[in-house]
Amino acid sequence: MKRRGRGIACMWYPIGFTVSANPSAAVVKVNEDGTAMLLTGTVETGQGSLTVLGQIAAEELGIAADDVHVVSGDTDATPMDTGAIASRTTYVTGNAVRLAAEKAKSVLFEVGASMLGVRSEQLEARDRKIQVKNFPQRNLGIGEVAYHAQVVKGQPPIGSATWNPPTVPMDPETGQGKPFNTYVYATQIAEVDVDDETGEVEVLRIVAAHDCGTAINPMLVEGQVEGGVAMGIGFALQEEMLFDVAGRHVNPSLTNYIMPTSLDVPEIEVDIVPSYDPTGPFGAKGVGEPTSVPTAAAILNAIHDAVGVRIASLPATAEKVLAAIKAKGDRPRIGGQVPVPR
Amino acid sequence: MSGKQKVQEREKTIAPPVGVEMLRVPAVVRPAAYPIETLVPEARQQTPAVGQRASRVDGRLHGLGQTRYIDDLAFPGMLHARIKRAGIAAARIVRIDTHGAEAMPGVMAVLTGAEIPVNSFGPSLQDQPVLAHERVFHAGDGVAAVAAVTEQIAVEALEKIVVEYEPLPAVFDPLEALKEDSPKVHPPHGNVYTTKVIAKGDVEAALAASHRVFEGRFRTQMVEHVSLEPHAAIADWDANGRVTIWSTLGRITLARGDVARTLKLAMNRIRMVGTIVGGNFGGKNEITQEPVLALLSRKTGRPVKGVYTRGEEFTSTTTRHPIIMDYKTGVTREGKILARKVRLVLDGGAYCSWSETTLGKAAILSPGPYNIENLRVEAYVVYTNKTMTGAMRGFGAPQVCFAYESHMDDIAAALKIDPLEIRLLNAFGEGSVSPTGQVLQSVVVKESLLQAAERFGWREGRP
Repeated sequence: MKRRGRGIACMWYPIGFTVSANPSAAVVKVNEDGTAMLLTGTVETGQGSLTVLGQIAAEELGIAADDVHVVSGDTDATPMDTGAIASRTTYVTGNAVRLAAEKAKSVLFEVGASMLGVRSEQLEARDRKIQVKNFPQRNLGIGEVAYHAQVVKGQPPIGSATWNPPTVPMDPETGQGKPFNTYVYATQIAEVDVDDETGEVEVLRIVAAHDCGTAINPMLVEGQVEGGVAMGIGFALQEEMLFDVAGRHVNPSLTNYIMPTSLDVPEIEVDIVPSYDPTGPFGAKGVGEPTSVPTAAAILNAIHDAVGVRIASLPATAEKVLAAIKAKGDRPRIGGQVPVPR
Repeated sequence: MSGKQKVQEREKTIAPPVGVEMLRVPAVVRPAAYPIETLVPEARQQTPAVGQRASRVDGRLHGLGQTRYIDDLAFPGMLHARIKRAGIAAARIVRIDTHGAEAMPGVMAVLTGAEIPVNSFGPSLQDQPVLAHERVFHAGDGVAAVAAVTEQIAVEALEKIVVEYEPLPAVFDPLEALKEDSPKVHPPHGNVYTTKVIAKGDVEAALAASHRVFEGRFRTQMVEHVSLEPHAAIADWDANGRVTIWSTLGRITLARGDVARTLKLAMNRIRMVGTIVGGNFGGKNEITQEPVLALLSRKTGRPVKGVYTRGEEFTSTTTRHPIIMDYKTGVTREGKILARKVRLVLDGGAYCSWSETTLGKAAILSPGPYNIENLRVEAYVVYTNKTMTGAMRGFGAPQVCFAYESHMDDIAAALKIDPLEIRLLNAFGEGSVSPTGQVLQSVVVKESLLQAAERFGWREGRP
């Protein structure tokens, strides 16, 4: 009989390296027409980071995502970057990008100030314009200012910057210190059906509420969460590298190392928890790795809720769950729960 | 119908596609022509840029199958490399005979570890050979590489390479590896290569004063990242002595440093290009075959491509650390955590790789996002003669989260407290102090609990 259960798990996760320096550098060049180029040494690994970095540069310059072309991943052409690791790209590389864009913008402001007859502190960059704060009708197109800066004034609007999260080393005896500059938080809740005659677990639903600071691109945050949950399901229920007595890996192929397929992935409901981190670019932190952190815990708690057995070793394969149910002996009776009819 | 009419009918069916129409798979493959005017989704054109659901810049290329991964790249005269794997977990290499492979038609070069200028690498400890030379540390170690005009010839040539091994005692279980008398994976060093301790308050006194004390042991398994795209690279050593490497690595700055170190080459003679990567998840954080391909390119004067098989992805690249996690927690009658002891033993596999980082994060995060004044965490990572463990999405966090959250539910069940309420009672808030004594800011763990519970309908009870 299938028995339904629900399980909750929350987590915390740091952004960036543990104590060690993990700097990023970036270069932003505003073209003569007000579009821009962003040079970054990080690499797109499928998570959409280049899109997010482009949005950060665009925001600082008051232009749109599509106005920024991102050049990445070439040690001959792009500045150094610690790279796509430790959920650090939006936060660390993002801060470097924002600072580089700010420097390029300061050239535009200097030139724009003389064109508009105001001081540069009075200017802001919005909607593809350089305009006077509180007097938006006094404005110039960003392209006009950029052209004037480069071609007339001889001051091409180019900015470069670096950023590294501040940390404090941990005491070797007590571990006390500040290993990371910021953390993100999340909760996932799983609903499962467990077949108490076969031990098979079916994940029906995952609700995921994730903090990432400001969501620079909510669609990409949702994509990360959905991918992370799918990966967490494999970790919870299916995947395991097995070795023989001589230490040889015995299931090195996808026919016997079982990954979740689309049929194993349930409905995933993503909520972005509102938060703002003043140390991140426009309040952003990160979201990459944490999305996969609480999934297995939530599923395993849901299994416990459904059939009353604690599987203390991953993965919770059907064989393992069934053995635990049998070892428990009696039919599960949990907290007045009604078995779900087949 | 005349021939001309037929042609006209046919042309109608291949009218230039527009917008989303392009993403449909046609019954007859259309000629590769794309609209000159590219439709840009509105979100990409709007200001302010932050907060926009802007589609990915690489999305259209992926959708059209136009993204060029390493395996889509080819250069004139390019060779294909394959690496011979040891297949034995611990051994001394007595002899490597490559003559049979070198004599094969189509084989352009063979490489062994002896030819690598500095045959070691690793992000914190340089304990990993590029190709095993004197000793094999796990079955997935490479022992020789071949560059041939086709991949098939390279595969066949590997069979002609004879390697004589003298088997050595091996250890596979991390708890066994902890013991003093267990075989040493990297003699003369012990198997424990890093430890981490986090301590605050008085754990023993707080445990003694607790209403109840709970204990649990939790274990996790070894898993692989299983990126769709395997590790792949092309190296091209030019006549100026400058090498360009296109690679699936996610960290090209570090990779250039590692290539410079292993090849004893100035950094300005190396160009690392990070191509669009088909999945990383931490598995592409450090070099693998890049120095081998570079040296094969230097030997042959030709570009050399290497693409790992799925088997190599599993056995010869980094995986996620299995961890054995012992928890002991003292609580009040109401479920408030007074003290927690955690002991973690991480299976590091044959090489350190990102174990230091994983150990650190696992140790720091292992108490969970909870206010615990009395705490002691001891964490160890040990060598075993298995596939090395390294960076994988979460650096130890998914493992310890499984443990601390399972443990939390066991405590809640025993005290008859709702799992949501016991978490809200103990969770960090703004200004909470972390296990390492850090004052935390922008903390929203309670908010995430409440938001998820609301969305799920947790407090409404069961259907």
